[in-house]
Amino acid sequence: MSENREHRLRIALTKGRLLDKSVELFTAMGLDCTPIEHPGRRLVHAIPNYPLDAVLAKAPDVITYVEHGVCDLGVVGKDTILEQGRTFYEVLDLGFGRCRFALAVKEGSDFYGTYRTRRIASKYPNVARAFFEKKGMDVDIIKIEGSVELAPILGLADAIVDIVETGATLRENGLVPIEDVAQVSARLIVNTASMKLHKEAIEDFIARCEAELERRT
Amino acid sequence: MRSTIHTPEGTRDRLFAECRARRRARQALTELFQSRGYGEVSTPEVEFYDLFLQSGSPLPQEAMLKIIDRGGRIMVMRPDCTTPIARVAATKLKSLPLPQRLYYDQTVFRSGDAHRGGSSEIAQCGVELIGAAGAKADLEMVALAVDALRACGLTGFHVELGHAGFFKDLAARMEMDEDEVERMRALIEGKNFAALNDLLEPYGDRPACKALRRLSRLFGGVEVLDEAEALAGSHPALTYLRDLYRELEAAGYGTWIRFDLGLVHQIDYYTGVVFRGYADGAGNAVLSGGRYDGLTAAFGRSAPATGFAVDADAVAGCLPPEESPRLELLVHFEAGQLSWALSALEGAAGGRRELSPCGTLEETMSLARERGAAGVLTLENGAERLVRL
Repeated sequence: MSENREHRLRIALTKGRLLDKSVELFTAMGLDCTPIEHPGRRLVHAIPNYPLDAVLAKAPDVITYVEHGVCDLGVVGKDTILEQGRTFYEVLDLGFGRCRFALAVKEGSDFYGTYRTRRIASKYPNVARAFFEKKGMDVDIIKIEGSVELAPILGLADAIVDIVETGATLRENGLVPIEDVAQVSARLIVNTASMKLHKEAIEDFIARCEAELERRT
Repeated sequence: MRSTIHTPEGTRDRLFAECRARRRARQALTELFQSRGYGEVSTPEVEFYDLFLQSGSPLPQEAMLKIIDRGGRIMVMRPDCTTPIARVAATKLKSLPLPQRLYYDQTVFRSGDAHRGGSSEIAQCGVELIGAAGAKADLEMVALAVDALRACGLTGFHVELGHAGFFKDLAARMEMDEDEVERMRALIEGKNFAALNDLLEPYGDRPACKALRRLSRLFGGVEVLDEAEALAGSHPALTYLRDLYRELEAAGYGTWIRFDLGLVHQIDYYTGVVFRGYADGAGNAVLSGGRYDGLTAAFGRSAPATGFAVDADAVAGCLPPEESPRLELLVHFEAGQLSWALSALEGAAGGRRELSPCGTLEETMSLARERGAAGVLTLENGAERLVRL
């Protein structure tokens, strides 16, 4: 499905929080990221000193672009990967954008102390389902698009599965995290065919990332 | 009544150029298969779900499109070609001596997620060589895989080889429980370099562990076999792959052959050499296959087997589009001239000729103008007359 792009790799970057950190990482790797920082009206940003073009996208679209091979590489959060699944190589944990998926309940409620089927609200129904399947628990999962914290307050759900960074939002709403579901951070993903067809170029990029990540630890 | 004008998710109408490109790929493939002695088989579009359950098919059940028949049994739209062919080989072909060379050119149906841009109808052309074990059969298959992609007209492509036995053997030396092995396999398949390292951290520095840690990176030219040997020591699977490569290289196939020792998908299904083809312009493998010696035994006749399938649409999508031949002439005919008109349709060199359905020559002329034809052909006094526009 992808057109011939000579030998320039194309990377899809997740917009928002992860973008600043991605640019920081690439700059530390020696890439000139000015076109990404000052995008103007352009949608494809060519890195002047490295054979790489960058596009910015919402997290689930990063996965779609990489899966179809219209982008060779992508930077996306593990949260989106866990929720969407799909086929690609997930080669590196980039170490930034760290947070966790947690199970949170109303303060003082006994989540496990009942045989009643519990109802879980989440923006990430697949993550929630996999978590409870592993526990051997049959639960009702209900998808909420906006502020998930509202669901237990309104009495719609017994608990939520959501991204937790500091836990401040939960506390303000009288919720407490009782269990970690999964750790989240930004990942470098690669299209399966690109990895094979542009091996040298992609390995060079991965090696530069790894060297910088190594230096940071 | 509200009319339905869209096609179901994952399906689409294909017009002219797309059909021609697909047809061309299928024709190139089937002609090649025939020339190597493969005979065509065709299996039903619907099969019992139990067939795939019984064979231990690696496809998850949610990937199969299901129908319930009148007796209440679950049927599936053919989700893969190899399982039904293994059934045929073990039953209908039971009395024939092995090996049997079979090819197919049929559609498989998959039920994918909504709005992913994936196709739930896949035009597969493939071969199965049933009843032949060993290097010569594997050589034939890999060479045929390369030739298949060449025959389609692809230039930038690789066929990469792996070996199911290498991973299985390394994993067996690790004293891991089944779940842990599966986690490790998934990380290797996903080339999840960092997570694989973390998982193997507690297992120390045994040769098997060192090799497994590198396994997802062991892809590329024949040198990856050396690297694997340096890590894990000599291993029959590596020697086997090297011998295959030597033969293939001597036969002129070297440029197209790569290796990926981290090719560990469907590890319970494949029993030996596995391979995949990647082409410039396709975001996923366009060819996939390998040795599956255990499959036909599920149907009561144990026989070694190997084969592969080409995704004809994916291949066609990598080729430059071919313009459709333009309309050259409209043939205008009167009562009693049908036989002449039909013969006038033939013999067109560059463009296409069509019969004019119009009653009068004037109408034909105006239709020809509208359709952009170069002229109109009529028969007057027993002689063809060409009216140019």
